Amino acid sequence: MYVDMQTGTVETIMSNSDLPVVLIVEDEPDVAETYKLWLQEEYEVRMAQNGDEGLDLLDEAVDVVLLDRMMPGLSGDEVLERIRERDLGCRVAMVTAVEPDFDILEMGFDAYLSKPIRSEQLHETVDNLLDRSEYDSLLQEYYALVEKQATLEATKSSAELAESDQYDELTERVAEMRDQLSDTLGGIEDDSDFIATLRGLSEDDNN
Amino acid sequence: MYDLTSVLEFDALSQIRPGSSILISGPAMSGKQRLAYDILADGIDGGDGAVVVTTGDGAGDVVEEFRSLVPDMNDAQLGVIDCRGDGGDQAVGNAHVHHVSSPGDLTGIGIGITKALEGLHNAGNERGRLALISLSTMLTYTDKKTVFKFCHVLSSRLDSAGYIGVFTIDSGAHDDQTLQVIKQAFDGMIDVRDAEGGGREARVLGLAGEPTDWQRI
Repeated sequence: MYVDMQTGTVETIMSNSDLPVVLIVEDEPDVAETYKLWLQEEYEVRMAQNGDEGLDLLDEAVDVVLLDRMMPGLSGDEVLERIRERDLGCRVAMVTAVEPDFDILEMGFDAYLSKPIRSEQLHETVDNLLDRSEYDSLLQEYYALVEKQATLEATKSSAELAESDQYDELTERVAEMRDQLSDTLGGIEDDSDFIATLRGLSEDDNN
Repeated sequence: MYDLTSVLEFDALSQIRPGSSILISGPAMSGKQRLAYDILADGIDGGDGAVVVTTGDGAGDVVEEFRSLVPDMNDAQLGVIDCRGDGGDQAVGNAHVHHVSSPGDLTGIGIGITKALEGLHNAGNERGRLALISLSTMLTYTDKKTVFKFCHVLSSRLDSAGYIGVFTIDSGAHDDQTLQVIKQAFDGMIDVRDAEGGGREARVLGLAGEPTDWQRI
């Protein structure tokens, strides 16, 4: 916390903006600096030089973690495991020196980037992972509406439903949200989107 | 477009848009799985790929079943995601078989489906049909919210693959509210029930126009 002596306002230094938060865990300072330069206009960036530091800087505010796989100390895989144990709901992209095979998805990463990474690639990956999170919250909202609608359908007669403005309004909103889910984010475009979204569901379930 | 009329003679099933997901609902032992298998077998017969996500039959049994339903099937046209969690080492030929630890392991099922779709694609299948049997079993492993979302996300994946999906649910095993919720994740529904005086009947809801009348199948 930071208290401004002149105005008396209290600000949180760690997260003083509405920008999405990206945590970079990378042991090579030059590489980490480069990522930060590319990202800092659009995101709040946090930097960690190793796995332990990364886990310290990780909290509810972090949306996306860029995790180098090969680091001294805790490996990327171990860090990932601890992130998942903490159930924070952030998305994790693995940064690797070699093109990985399919097992990356099974290991629990939401995306991967192989070095050397270009600026637009990095933006694309981070944006896509943020879209996944937005899709999750839309889906959550959509479900809440569907559940309300189903409760009315299961407890009221069709005559009562026909008379109900609340039911009309719900039905309309359900239809709107369904379109929004398929249009705004283009649905599920590829395998890693699909798996990352499903992984999100199982995590919600555990909460 | 997918034409299911050779399996079930309803006009509403003559032009199913790729990406559509259909719920097959009915009481226990009313032929839901049979119907889903027939829809897939009909596709295999016409050159489509087929993916079965099973919580009951083992992968080996599913492959055997389809070999007998479509005698000239090429194994590479079939993918099976066996969610019973017992590993299983039955010989399944060239079918694309994946084992998942439990019907509640949604990420595992997703990975299995992804691999099956990839295998089918590499074997030259551009279209296909997926059957999930059954949602009722999944609902005993995880809550309706998660199953609803899973169905929604899977439909979206099938849409981008150009597949159609059929999903079975035992209408007698869940309360009305659960059934209403699950229905909302689908584009349409085939209702089946035992007909008076023996045999079965079905109706189609939500795929084209008004719900159809009950019709003997």
